This record gives sequence, C-alpha cells and structure tokens, in this order.
Amino acid sequence: MIPRLMIPRFRRKKKDRPSPDILMPPEGVALTLPVAGVGVRLAAQITDVLITTIAAICLLVLLSALNLTTPRTIFAIGALLFFVIRVPYYVIAELGWNGQTLGKRLMKIKVVSHDGGPLTAHALVLRNLMKEAEIFLPATLLLTLDTATPFASIASLAWITMGLMVPILNRYRRRLGDIMAGTHVIHLPVPVLLKDLAAETPVVTEDRKKITFLSHQLDHYGAFELQTLETLLRAQGQRPTAGAEQQRQATIETIVEKIRKKIGYADPVPPADRLRFLQAFYNAQREHLEQRQLFGDRRENKHYAQSDEENRAGN
Amino acid sequence: MDNQDLMRSARFRKEREADWRRLEGLVLQAEGKGLQRMDFADTRDLASLYRQATTSLAIAREISLDKALLGYLEALTARAYLCVYAPQERVGGLVERFFTVSAPQAMRRSWPYILLGFVCMALGALTGYLLYFENNDWFYVFTPSGLGGGRGPDATTDSLRSVIYGGSEKSGFGAFATYLFSHNTRIAIFVFGLGVFACAPAILLTFYNGLILGAFLALHVDRGLGVDLAGWLSIHGVTEISAICIACGGGLQLGMAVLFPGDRSRSDALHHAGRDAVKLALVAALMLVAAAFLEAFARQMVQDLTARFVIGWGVGALWLAWFVFGGRRRR
Repeated sequence: MIPRLMIPRFRRKKKDRPSPDILMPPEGVALTLPVAGVGVRLAAQITDVLITTIAAICLLVLLSALNLTTPRTIFAIGALLFFVIRVPYYVIAELGWNGQTLGKRLMKIKVVSHDGGPLTAHALVLRNLMKEAEIFLPATLLLTLDTATPFASIASLAWITMGLMVPILNRYRRRLGDIMAGTHVIHLPVPVLLKDLAAETPVVTEDRKKITFLSHQLDHYGAFELQTLETLLRAQGQRPTAGAEQQRQATIETIVEKIRKKIGYADPVPPADRLRFLQAFYNAQREHLEQRQLFGDRRENKHYAQSDEENRAGN
Repeated sequence: MDNQDLMRSARFRKEREADWRRLEGLVLQAEGKGLQRMDFADTRDLASLYRQATTSLAIAREISLDKALLGYLEALTARAYLCVYAPQERVGGLVERFFTVSAPQAMRRSWPYILLGFVCMALGALTGYLLYFENNDWFYVFTPSGLGGGRGPDATTDSLRSVIYGGSEKSGFGAFATYLFSHNTRIAIFVFGLGVFACAPAILLTFYNGLILGAFLALHVDRGLGVDLAGWLSIHGVTEISAICIACGGGLQLGMAVLFPGDRSRSDALHHAGRDAVKLALVAALMLVAAAFLEAFARQMVQDLTARFVIGWGVGALWLAWFVFGGRRRR
C-alpha cells in the first residue's frame, strides 16, 4: 500500500515544478522565454573568443613591430594582452548591449535576471569575472603546464570538468557564474503579428448561402484542434508549388469530410466552397470556445469531457 | 468588416493593435541605440506601453484562442520587458563605486575570512621554518625545482647573496608580464577558484605556499642572510602574499556558503557570498598586478636594504589604509 501511495506523490512533485522557460517579471504576468542550451552558448563563446584572440594577435604583431617584445617574453605578453582585452570586452559589451556580447547577438541569445527582476550591472560584472575563474584561467594553466607538475595539471583538468558539469546538470543551464550572479541565458523571442483570421472579410457572393453552425455542432472540438486548423488556414496564403497543389486539395477535402462527419453537418460542401467552409467553421468554433472559456469552461482539446470527469473523480 | 460583426477577441485586438505596433517600434529603437539616447517622451511611452501590453497579454490569455495573437503578444511583451529592465549603470560609475565604496566595505565585512587566510599562510610558514631546521632536506620536498632558481641548501652563501643583490637581465614590460603569470598568481587563482569546492583545497594550497615561504626564509636565516632576504621579499612580497591570503579569504567565503548554507538553498547562499567574494578576488587581482609591477621595476632599481623595506611596507600600509578608511560614510 505504501509504495503505491509514494510513487504518484513523487511523480507529481517532479511534474509540479514550473517549466524553466517561464520567467515572472515584476508585473506578475508570466512570460515564456526559452532557456538557451549548452550548444548555442558554446557557439557564442567560441565567436567571442575568436574576436578577442584576433584583437590580441593584432596588438601583439604591432608590439613586436615596435620592438617591444623579445622571443623569450612573447608568450607571457600575448597571454597578458589576451587577458587585458578579454575581461573588459565581455563586461562592457554586456553592459552596453543589455546582456549581449557580439557572439550572443549573432546567436540571438541574451542574459536575463533569474528572478525576473531588473538586470543589474553588478550581476553582469560578476558573471563575466567568474567566467575567468571558471573557464579561461584553468584553460590557460592547462596549456602552460607540463608533465613536471602533474598535480597542477590534474587539478586544472578536474576544475574545468566540474565547471562544465554544472550547466549540464541544472535545468536552467546556468554556469557557476550565473548561479552567483543570479542570471540565466535565454533565446530572444521574435514578435511577428500575423493577420487575424477572424477579422478577414470572407468572399461572400450573392448566389451562395451563408454557412452557419448550430451550438451542439461546436461542442466536439477544443482549443488544440482549433489552433491546428488555424495553422492550416494560414498556410493557404502561401503559393504552392505545381505538384503540391493537388495534394493540398486532397488534404482539404479529407479534413472537410472528417469535420462534417464528426459534427453531423448534413449539407454536402461543393469543392469550390471547401475553404470557405473551413473558414466559417474556424470563426464559429473560435467564438464558441472563447465564450465557453469566459464562463470558466476551458477546453484544451477534444478530450475535454473525459479530463473533466477525471478531475472530478480525483477531487 | 464592421466592428460590431467581429467576435469579442478580434475586437479586443483591433482596438489595441496600434499601441502594440508603436511599442514594437519603440522596442526596436531601444535595442538599437539604447535607452540613454532616446527621447524623454519615447522612453516614458515605452514604459507605459509595456505595462499595457502585459495587461493585454493577461487578458488575451483568458479571452482569446488566436494562436498568432498570443504568440505575438508574448514575444512583444518579453522583448519590451528586456528593454525596460535593462541595466542602467554606466561602466565609469561602476568602476568609481568599486574603488571608493564597495571594495573597502567588502574587505571590512569579510575580515574573519581574510584573517583565516593569513593564519593559514602564517602557520604554513612557521611549519616550514621549523621543519627546515630539523632537517635541511625538507626544502627539496616543499619547493618545486623551477621556483628556487638554483637556490637551495647546496648553494653557496655568496651565490644566495648575489641573487638578492644582483641585477637581472629581465626587466621592463616583458618581465612584468612574466612575473604576473608567475607561480604566485597561479596559486592565488587556484586558491580562490578551488574554494568553491568545500574550502579544503584553498586552505591546503595556502598552507603549502606558507611552507615554501618558511623553508626559503629558514635557508637564508641559516646563512645569516635573513634580513637581506626579508628586504628582497618585502618590496613585492608584502603585496603579493597579502593578495594570496585575500584570495584565500574569498575562496573560503564561497566554500563556507557551499558547506553551511544555513536557511538558504546552496545556490542562493553562493549567490549571496559571491557579492563580497568577487570583490575580494578583484582586490587580490589588483594587488597581484601591483606586485608584478614592483617585482619587475622596483626590485631591480632599488638595491638598498632600507629603501626596499620602506617601499614594500609603505605600499602595504597604503593598501591597509584603503581597506580601513575607504568607503566610510561621513557623519
């Protein structure tokens, strides 16, 4: 008895955690900002390293042209220049471009405050300095060390591995610096406003009758099916290639027939009217569902009746 | 189509669409040239339109099933949120605040950790010193072969003296860079970074560095060169060894947050400890740069023993004065 009780409770606990993609701004309306993965961040990082390395090499060539270096010290000076360019680059770029370096701009990712509050300058400085301690310095040490000092080599290797494990092991893909600064990195959303299907003027010619639906005919589908239909209707705006046209007509015919059968729409729909039928059905269905939603009857998909019963049984 | 014929959610959208478009334009403007360079009226509108958009989003989630509208509003509000809550501080102000207020305050707040760092180093030095007098061979155990530069129990007293009072072929910018990435800097970096992993590595490394120091000192005291070595070390060592101890203090602070987070979660505790620890690391880095400067330029130029003491401890006193008196509010 006890194990059967424990297992669902454990599962629910995992399921109840909020999705990592949701950020709560001070206004209290949750926003969806998908967390950037390790791969895309690595790509941004490599871009930034390339940029700073090129700058450092240019300066180094300039210095050696001015006879300020000797072959003995060129590596130390190179490392110093790389360091001197790199540290301010990250901090200033992220401060100036609101949490984006050039690499991050290229990859369309951005730093945000983890708790949804304002992004502070302190957090940006902190996360970039920790990047030094976490990645660059052990990496530099690893490059400069040799077999004579096995302890230090192993230590820096272990350090890098641990540093890399931290973002892989947590849900927000935060590195140590992110945890300390209270930030994480997200994909930048792109706002594109498509036209409202319901506001479009349907082509109603005089000789055709208006397509109307009865209330009970609209009780078969939920929001998911409605939005799938929306995607399909939006795709009709694009010009199809020659071969695809026939296939598209076939798809639409199947869908129309399926809907007719399901909702019990008796009149046959002539081929020329199929799109008009779908359009009218979309409008009627959306109006109906939105009205139900206003009355507190949210229908996620066509199985809404079953899930209602389950909820009632659960309570 | 007439307004009355539209369904409720389509009317909702039609009434607000112009504002959303304007907000979209303002967001693009703010992302392009920055909030600081925008007109006052535009910035004010950005903030108020953003709040309207969040309200619209909350309402749309309740009343509309139009996927395109929901997606657009969500993305638009998110972009506007990112603009409105962007960092407002300039780099210059940040640097100034660090030097005048936050760094000395952080140093004063975390004095127990820094003290612990110094204690580790001192205990290490004492142990190294005593062990050397017990048996000279301990020197070889502690000191990495490259570090001593040929100095050890086998070297003659004259050769030891010549290193202390001899000119070096290395000086200037190249030497500065070399010294900056020398042994002590590595130790400081490791001490700070490894502190996160439960304190122990930081304490061990600091203690070990103390051992080297103690053995080195003992070797020279044994040959009657104790005071000379102290002068040679003081000129940069006061700054450099303090930097290691401060880095150790920062590392310990992080390690303590991981080991004993108290009522907070571990990542939360790290977040809090990080505020001061990073300032400590920055101070340590600054001191290491200064130490490399002293080592590369001043140590070769100043050969007089008293002057070496005065410069080394004088610079140390300046650091101390900054930590003790900086960032205090005037009453």
